[in-house]
Amino acid sequence: MPKSFFNAFRIKQPPTFRLTGSHLADLYRRAAETFGDMPAFATRKKALEWEPVSFRELYDRGVCLATALIDIGVEARSHVGLLGDNRLEWILADYGVQLCGAADVPRGADVTDREIEYIFDHARVRVAFVETASLRDRLLALREKLSAGREMEIIVLDPGADPAEGCRRLADLLEHGRGLRKRGDRRVEERVKDLRPDDLFTLIYTSGTTGEPKGVMLTHANMISQLDRIPLEVSCTDRIVSVLPVWHIFERVFEMLAISRGCCTYYSGVRSLAEDMKDVEPTFMGSAPRLWESVHQRILKGVKQSHPVRRALFHTAYFFSHYYKESVFFFCGCSLDLKNRSKGKTAALAVFHAVRWFVLLPWYGFFNAAVLEKLRLVVGGAFKGSVSGGGALSREVDQFFNYIGIPVLEGYGLTESSPVIAVRTPGKLVIGTVGPVIPDTELRILCLDTGRVLYPDSERKDGGRGLRGEVVVRGPQVMKGYYRNPDATEAALRGGWLHTGDIGLVTFNDCLRIVGRCKETVVLSSGENLEPGPIEMRMLQSPLVDQCMVVGQDRRAPAALIVPSLEGFAEKGIKAKSRKELARDRNARSLMLTAIRERISEREGFKSFERINIFFLLEEPFSTDDELTSLFKLKRHVVAEKYRDVINSMYERGER
Amino acid sequence: MEIDQQLLNPIEQGLLAIMILIIMFGMGATLTPGDFRNALHRPKGLLIGFLSQFGLMPLIAFSLAIMLQLPPAQAIALILIGCLPGGTTSNMFAYFARGSVALSISMTAASTLLALIMMPILLDLYAAGFGEQIDAELRAAGDETGFVMPYFNIIVSLLLVLVPVAAGMVLLRISPGWAKTAEDTAGFMAIVVILFLLCSVTIRHANLFLDTSWRIYAGAVCVGLIGFLFGYLMAGLVRLAPRFKRAVSLETGIQNGPIAFAIILLSFREPLQSQMLWVAILYSTFIVITSSFVTLYFRRIGRADWEVYRNDVVHRRLFGKDYRVSYPEAAVGRIGRRE
Repeated sequence: MPKSFFNAFRIKQPPTFRLTGSHLADLYRRAAETFGDMPAFATRKKALEWEPVSFRELYDRGVCLATALIDIGVEARSHVGLLGDNRLEWILADYGVQLCGAADVPRGADVTDREIEYIFDHARVRVAFVETASLRDRLLALREKLSAGREMEIIVLDPGADPAEGCRRLADLLEHGRGLRKRGDRRVEERVKDLRPDDLFTLIYTSGTTGEPKGVMLTHANMISQLDRIPLEVSCTDRIVSVLPVWHIFERVFEMLAISRGCCTYYSGVRSLAEDMKDVEPTFMGSAPRLWESVHQRILKGVKQSHPVRRALFHTAYFFSHYYKESVFFFCGCSLDLKNRSKGKTAALAVFHAVRWFVLLPWYGFFNAAVLEKLRLVVGGAFKGSVSGGGALSREVDQFFNYIGIPVLEGYGLTESSPVIAVRTPGKLVIGTVGPVIPDTELRILCLDTGRVLYPDSERKDGGRGLRGEVVVRGPQVMKGYYRNPDATEAALRGGWLHTGDIGLVTFNDCLRIVGRCKETVVLSSGENLEPGPIEMRMLQSPLVDQCMVVGQDRRAPAALIVPSLEGFAEKGIKAKSRKELARDRNARSLMLTAIRERISEREGFKSFERINIFFLLEEPFSTDDELTSLFKLKRHVVAEKYRDVINSMYERGER
Repeated sequence: MEIDQQLLNPIEQGLLAIMILIIMFGMGATLTPGDFRNALHRPKGLLIGFLSQFGLMPLIAFSLAIMLQLPPAQAIALILIGCLPGGTTSNMFAYFARGSVALSISMTAASTLLALIMMPILLDLYAAGFGEQIDAELRAAGDETGFVMPYFNIIVSLLLVLVPVAAGMVLLRISPGWAKTAEDTAGFMAIVVILFLLCSVTIRHANLFLDTSWRIYAGAVCVGLIGFLFGYLMAGLVRLAPRFKRAVSLETGIQNGPIAFAIILLSFREPLQSQMLWVAILYSTFIVITSSFVTLYFRRIGRADWEVYRNDVVHRRLFGKDYRVSYPEAAVGRIGRRE
């Protein structure tokens, strides 16, 4: 019998192959050498017609661009602006910037004039990439106001943009650089040799909930440490779809991870995402809670409209899968352990789960194969998991996807920690937490009042698990500081420890659970501290509520600003043409009040002072232009400012 | 082992008949005429499938019957199972085992048609001897009619079973949505009825499980397992790609159980019928369990080559038919090399 036959029966799963380097320029070169002709990035031309660029080609173009950048005067360790959204030219610009030893200052195409003005001057940007002709024109108009003035070099990424006076085009620069390289220009090699791990690779200005944006200085060592430690098994046979804005560090780390593992990144967009998922069959992606909320809604809508037999099959399948998976999670040490359990209780639970697991196994097996597998095709047939970041995932959505077998791994981090601090892995998928802290990262939980270390606490038997406090971390991913802002740096980095401003606790199976934000905390006039996050999340689960924000700082009781859902009310029989009409409708108001009371109740685990009796139905939804950050987080201070009168009158009426 | 009374009472027999109808209908609802045509387009895989399904499996069943010294009735049942065409469950298992579903479907389609010719020939080849034994026993016991292998009835039962398959195919043509529902319902029904039969047998013939000889258990379990093994080996010998090996293996071991029930109910008399049914029930029960484990095993060993294959498929879909890449050996090992 051939020997190879027996080899086939030996199960060997080799560790994921990953490249590393001393800095990103080094990584880019190694990726080109190792992965050569494999596709690195793919751009959608139209459905089923995509254009790949190989690692080698991308690197060669990057070197040409870097040569040209050096030639037009980009110095080592200078800052190059990069305004635009996800596209191949963006990553090419990044290659160019890294290979000439500079750092980029990225921002999305939705950047405001005021932000450009502040950021470019603060970061001393003299050369900037802009994605589109319209951004170029805005920057040209702004140029006079900037300290760089007319000296500012503007490079347009979009190959389709018409030429304009005083601007360069990426294609021209590439051509110029290629010519220089041909004539023996080797300045790029010198620059790369001179790069140190401690040099910045990017300077990201965070929108900041308060005050002016702050420039987060991230070094090559920060990024490389993330690529070495993020516990995701992405390999060169994987496919990553990119939808989140790449100038955010969260999406960027995914693209860098893809480069280090030889995996191809496919640029999709919000509009074509559903279709692209089917065509590309991604295996991983970076995602935000909103994406999962919309997919969840879509699936539920599909179920509602389907044939009664299929609907029944779905509900039965979900029922079995839910309880089966719950038992599996228990045995994998993946249930949410907020309290210490006695040995007896653990044993009793183990018996219960073992029996339940065994009874449900055949049913789960069948329904998983016949029903859930089809459902999972919404994310393509090869999905292994997605890291969700940039906000908290609601428990309902989180459970739904993990129980139907689409692993949604919630991660946690800040731009300041480039960004991953903790992330769930397929082996440690604890719903309700953000998973264990990644290797070489130290975590502390500090008492909110005294600043005392609650975790780790060697004097306590449980080590301080289960205690709430501010999350503080130290590790190789923590930023160098805020650029030209020593006060803010000192406030955030104390003795190497990054103070996140988030409230969290460590569960008894060593996962981090984030429960709120210190700065969000609303303090009522009674002195009670109230976390608006969980209340809002619960209210958002009502179909009547599209968006909401809880207010009540220094008031007697909390109140909510609510953007009602027209569809939600229409389903309940109140068909309004506009939100204005809804806001005046008595029935709508009483329906809303019942919905809130039902959800924010003691039975649901809310304290009595958290109950909401005062609310106001807004006529305009919150939008990313104003009240939301581009990751759809509420800018609380903006809402509070904009609706100050509404809030005041709402309390006056409520108090009467 | 003697079953002193009928294994299944008329109600249960009726239920079983309905189940067979629904399952075969569900099977038809997954098949299109194209599947039969496609079968002709992959002659290599199909030939291997033919050899393993109608060459290996009956031989394995026959050898097991001899080696385990099974009584003639059970031996005939086991050989009957060995000669069956593949069932639709194998397609589902092939899907989860990261095998080629297209090949699995082709093999199912082709073997279902070929069974009309092959089953009588194979039964004559392997089971005739056991038939004569039974005949002799019956005559010795004073039964005038004796036993004759009911070839005609077997062919008629096979044709009857194909009627709901054809009806399912018509449904798929008219309404794919309904066909999908029919397919799922059939799968669900199969589990429910198998469990129901097991439960009712347990209650009414409580001792049957204990009275059944280990030889019969061994035969019912091993016929599938050895089929998986030899199917895999055979596909390996002709150097099929790993995903085809997995499909052939599962297709070989997993037989169309409902057809066995139909043939036994329609073609054999008591007391043979009950004894043969019991073997078929045991086979149908164990094959679900063994193929689940084999599928899990295939899933694991197949992960690497499957991912390379899927990546190639997506590349060709998006970047054009002629797009080819070579994977660095350091990252994917030998699998990345083009076959």
